[in-house]
Amino acid sequence: MVAYQILCGLMGVAWLVVGASLFSMFFAFHSPGGRSGGLFATMGPQGHYLAAFAGCALITWALLLLAAARRPLEGRAVGTATALGLVLCASYRMVAWVVGDYAAVADLLRIESAVFLTLALGFVWLRPARVEAAT
Amino acid sequence: MIGRILATVVIVGLLGFDFMLPRFEMLQQGRDPVARADAPAAVVVVDEPMPDFTLPDLDGVPVTLSSLQGHRVLLTFERSVDW
Repeated sequence: MVAYQILCGLMGVAWLVVGASLFSMFFAFHSPGGRSGGLFATMGPQGHYLAAFAGCALITWALLLLAAARRPLEGRAVGTATALGLVLCASYRMVAWVVGDYAAVADLLRIESAVFLTLALGFVWLRPARVEAAT
Repeated sequence: MIGRILATVVIVGLLGFDFMLPRFEMLQQGRDPVARADAPAAVVVVDEPMPDFTLPDLDGVPVTLSSLQGHRVLLTFERSVDW
């Protein structure tokens, strides 16, 4: 149970940081003279719009994870949904790696996939059992 | 419990697929620096004869441009993922 709480808490904080960054990147891009650098340099207005949407979704996901960290028995379903979400994230990263259009980030996509799948396994096995939640 | 086991099978299967994907160095084979290293420096000038070169065909047999003299030659450049 404690391990599930720690996993939810850590991932909630991580998603909160990433989500807030993506969300604020939209406003930074549209501020006077604003532009994104590095890997995000070629994203353009549409890319930043979608990144802000992803940021909002990540912040929502993070808040659910943090709620599950505080009340793990009530937040059992959050673990299931998070595991599914992580598997989806890993799936498109593997396809992106095979396609080859994201060669600039090299093996990062495969490593991220492996990390997400391992985390998904953690959420599958560490979430409280149904019987445990009922009592 | 059955749900957890099924989920584990799916996730471990995907993990195995992830580890089986070819490594990044393999994708580098067709990339610019390697391609340049393979071919000697040659300058192509419009309206001038193409410098001679040799490349393997789909069966690995080397084909020289000069051996195709008298035929029309169409060169295409495509991206390859090396498998």
